[in-house]
Amino acid sequence: MLRLAPALLLLGLALAIPLADAFAQERARQRSPAPPTARLSFVGLADKAQVPAKLTVRFAISGMEVVPAGQVSRNGGHHHLLIDTELPPLDQPIPSDFNHIHFGGGQTEAEIALTPGKHTLQLLFADHNHVPHDPPIVSERITVEVPATAAEKPRSAAAPGARVFFIDLQDGATIPSRTRIRFGSEGIAVTPAGTTSTNGGHHHLLVDTELPALDREIPSDFNHLHFGRGQTEVELSLPPGEHTLQLLMGDHEHVPHDPPVVSQRIRVRVVADGQPAVAAPSAPHAHGTGKARTASPNDAVVYFVYPRDGDRIYPTSTIRFGLRNMGVAPAGVAKPNTGHHHLLVDTGPPAFGEPIPADLNHIHLGGGQTEYRLTLPNGRHTLQLLLADENHVPHDPPVISERITVIVAPGGPHARRRR
Amino acid sequence: MSQARIAACLIALMALSGAGFQAMAQAPVRQAAPPGAQVYFHYPVDGLSVPERFTVRIGLRGMGVAPAGINHARTGHHHLLIDTDPGPPDQPIPSDYNNIHLGNGQTEVVVTLPKGRHTLQLLLGDHLHIPHNPPVMSPKITVNVR
Repeated sequence: MLRLAPALLLLGLALAIPLADAFAQERARQRSPAPPTARLSFVGLADKAQVPAKLTVRFAISGMEVVPAGQVSRNGGHHHLLIDTELPPLDQPIPSDFNHIHFGGGQTEAEIALTPGKHTLQLLFADHNHVPHDPPIVSERITVEVPATAAEKPRSAAAPGARVFFIDLQDGATIPSRTRIRFGSEGIAVTPAGTTSTNGGHHHLLVDTELPALDREIPSDFNHLHFGRGQTEVELSLPPGEHTLQLLMGDHEHVPHDPPVVSQRIRVRVVADGQPAVAAPSAPHAHGTGKARTASPNDAVVYFVYPRDGDRIYPTSTIRFGLRNMGVAPAGVAKPNTGHHHLLVDTGPPAFGEPIPADLNHIHLGGGQTEYRLTLPNGRHTLQLLLADENHVPHDPPVISERITVIVAPGGPHARRRR
Repeated sequence: MSQARIAACLIALMALSGAGFQAMAQAPVRQAAPPGAQVYFHYPVDGLSVPERFTVRIGLRGMGVAPAGINHARTGHHHLLIDTDPGPPDQPIPSDYNNIHLGNGQTEVVVTLPKGRHTLQLLLGDHLHIPHNPPVMSPKITVNVR
């Protein structure tokens, strides 16, 4: 009897140790079952692909359904993108950090930024508790490479006659320390940064500085002011004294055109306020037609809720608009910080100083609508949003979205991707 | 006989119109909503976990947005109802912490909520903040603020 005691003690210890071990680690979670046929993959992204530093990754799941995190659903789950990391333990919730990106809202794509060099990407599907399924639904682990950033960027062509100039401001002028400087352009369109357009660009004002290198991005600092939203004037404050001003057009990537569209470099003398000065006239008349443009808040943004750039859409789709830091008002209603939407289809931005034309390419949403059911023929189309005031004239600065490209196909998002 | 009948008819008519005026005095005429009009959440969706500070994005189908005070057919402005039920549909929507008015025609709003479960609902109001007839209202959704 006494002899048995140590043996029992040993047995007890042997039982207790693995138990303690299990408790010391995280408790293994219940895993949701998954059908063996479920497949997870990247869309349009192959192993060993060369990718830009900022890219949109799209996910495809078959045999299962995407539901937001927290919603229990049979054969449902949400995506996780693993960047530069191995698979996490499969009986635990997937960690949430820079290497494990959760798409708990049920997103099926993400825009990610990668540093130059090689990176691994892998998709892992997980259930409402972020725990991978049993068997795990996991994609191939692919390696992508971001090429080292080339300092030199391709330059956009400019029409030979294009020029930029200061309006009502001559070389040698005397101006007060706070002045409105207006920019004029001829033979080239003013388009916001980020919008690729032939023979278009946005203004840069160079203050007290030489021309920068013309084969790369114009720097962004106190001496190089960017007007990336297509502004054509600025309220500039300068200390009293002699200063130089020069205008330089940059393309969608802030790179000067070829040939560069640059103004004469003018010298101005700034005097302290209160002294008589030959100031620019205060009436805003510089926009050709003479129509005053309504001011917009600096942080106003108009954007597409649906579709996104590069999306495949059905021939008849509802285009949904988002507007940040402004409100919507029907045409004809004059109210500060409001406007109504215009959907530009297969056309570049119109002149900002005039009412937006009304035709098949410029769809007016004058009733204050925030979505529009659009029917397009199959193929590639561009869409752009432009807000305008009660008279259909764009604001100053214009509130304009990125120009996105969509591919219209009979099957919409489910159409087969052609190589 | 026929005169008495006409008189009775007249009295009945006056009573009817009187009742009508009384009803109008209590509740202003509600704007009609076009059939199929619908207000919905782009973000967040029902059941979503959200951070304490998040942007509510609002979609509207079959109608337009107009700032409060603008009397324009087939338009209205958004109201975000937080942790509350809509009031009587013939009364102006109250303006308080639970009933957020987007009177400038906004289609999105940043809200900050304490941790826990909250309900959100969208309700369109006309130029006088009164819901349309029938009310253009989203389903009530629940979000989990973490």
